[in-house]
Amino acid sequence: MPGRDPLHLPAAAALVVAAGAAWYGGDFFLHEVLAEIAIFAIFAMSLDLLVGYAGLVSLGHAAFFAAGAYATASFTVFLGWPAPAATVAAVGCAAALAAVAGVFAIRVGGVFFIMITLALGQMVYAYFFKAREFGADDGMAGIPRPDLAALGLDAAEPHVFSALTLIAAVAVWVLLLVVVRSPFGAMLVAIHRNESRVRALGCPVQRYKLAAFVLAGAIGGFAGSLIAQHTGFVSPDLGFWTVSGEVLIMVIVGGMGSLVGAALGAAVLVLLRHELSDGAFWEAIGLSADLASYWQFVMGLFFIAVVLLAGDGLYGRLASIARRGRRLRRRGA
Amino acid sequence: MLLEPGFLIVQTLNGLQLSMLLFLLSIGLSVVFGMMNFINLAHGTLYMVGAYLALSTVRWFDSFWVALALAPLGVALIGALFYAVLLRHMQRQSPMRQVLVTFGLIFVGFDAVRMVWGVLPHTIPVPETLAGRVYVLGEVYPAYRLFIIAIGLAVLAALYAGLERTRLGAVVRAGVDDRTMVAALGIDVERAFFLVFCLGCWLAGLAGVVSAPVFSIFPGMDMSILILTLIVVVVGGPGSLKGAVIGSLVIGMVDTYGQVVAPEFARVTIYALMAAVLLVRPHGLFPVRRTH
Repeated sequence: MPGRDPLHLPAAAALVVAAGAAWYGGDFFLHEVLAEIAIFAIFAMSLDLLVGYAGLVSLGHAAFFAAGAYATASFTVFLGWPAPAATVAAVGCAAALAAVAGVFAIRVGGVFFIMITLALGQMVYAYFFKAREFGADDGMAGIPRPDLAALGLDAAEPHVFSALTLIAAVAVWVLLLVVVRSPFGAMLVAIHRNESRVRALGCPVQRYKLAAFVLAGAIGGFAGSLIAQHTGFVSPDLGFWTVSGEVLIMVIVGGMGSLVGAALGAAVLVLLRHELSDGAFWEAIGLSADLASYWQFVMGLFFIAVVLLAGDGLYGRLASIARRGRRLRRRGA
Repeated sequence: MLLEPGFLIVQTLNGLQLSMLLFLLSIGLSVVFGMMNFINLAHGTLYMVGAYLALSTVRWFDSFWVALALAPLGVALIGALFYAVLLRHMQRQSPMRQVLVTFGLIFVGFDAVRMVWGVLPHTIPVPETLAGRVYVLGEVYPAYRLFIIAIGLAVLAALYAGLERTRLGAVVRAGVDDRTMVAALGIDVERAFFLVFCLGCWLAGLAGVVSAPVFSIFPGMDMSILILTLIVVVVGGPGSLKGAVIGSLVIGMVDTYGQVVAPEFARVTIYALMAAVLLVRPHGLFPVRRTH
């Protein structure tokens, strides 16, 4: 719980400083990677609200990512809206989709919830894969970024756009922190811990779960809108269920129920994916560059190792070290 | 066109063939889910490995029938290994962690297959004895596809007899109903689960082998079939033979007819059907009634 967690603010500050330093000293390529990390951090934090706080393990979160991306593409390319307006509309679309999907999904729990969200997510993927008006399996191209000429900036420059996404990530973190520290967030955690008891107290459990599902979907749609502007291109692959699985792994790598952890997990996984699929990395550790084409093999092993060994994730490890440190200090004093 | 008897017969047979493949894949997944609340996302990977093992066996022995005998055993062996190395140690973990370990295995399996067999698609020839065509109610139909249907029906009959008539079957049924109580009676549920898990892997391998002469074999063939299989389990309701059979038939038929009647909405029809079922029965058509 960030509410009682003294490590949360320093960890967040450290992450922001690290991102800021990387941005300040970064080149073209690093700015591209930073933007990707920021976007996936937003996506992972939105899923963490569901998984880590409300206890709803979704394997279909990419549906909202894809919905946000496609909505942004449609509003900008078909209707000629400016990117910011399209982003607002995309968040609305993702929230609406989450409201409909949520009605089906939240009626069950546990593994069944995992499977139903997976199937619902695949439904969105299958729709975009076939929908000719959205370019079917080719997707859509030509999505603009916000026009910042009034500020004398050009969002097409990676250093400008990556700064935008980093600011957006911090804003989403603040928003979610407010949510999880509110009575609403406390209720979600209570439902996660003991649903029957909360229901017995007269709380409309389903309504809370649906609200969490919609909020997470809306923020996932926001991340999708940003990825569409980042690459300038959308394809059905954004909604494929392995994307949902990967973002779930990000949450676990970082540590569930700690928003900063989700962002940290996103950074680790995005960097790892870039390194493993880069031949230069394999040569640098003295192996054949051809191994880069089998990066998924290593990634899969990494996933398994993380799930088996990570326990409460990187952030959880950090928190327990910090706790031990405090205890030692108290004993010393 | 739709109401022509010839069209109906051929499409119904196609649907039945897909249903039987889905049945072979979903029954193992469904019973394991029912017993242990565990979903193996790498089930599609086992199907793919079954098809690839069949490819290699056919190359070595030049016989489909040897492949039919050996490849599913190979897959069952891989499943047993997976159980011994990973799954056995994970039973106390949350369902999410179990699911995600099998999620990681999908990536490992995908690249392992690419390393061993390459990225290009392969096919294996239809065995000679079944290469012909037969007349079904006046319509020409490939004999091999009828063979797939026959295999599915034979497995269904064997599983029904096994579940209803044998001691292991009784333990499995009881384990799905109330695992704790069965264990309290001194029965080794763990062992029964292991056997069921291996049988499920064997059936997934079998599905891979029999589908290999019809569909092409390529890395990634596991993905679409996995999702269909999961939908069968969700729609049918996990844990029961009846659920897997009905779920497979419904999904197999709706998918086949959907592809012909409304190709624009091909897969979407299945998801719409699933949503409709879940709206009325959140735990599937034939959920196992739990006593606790």
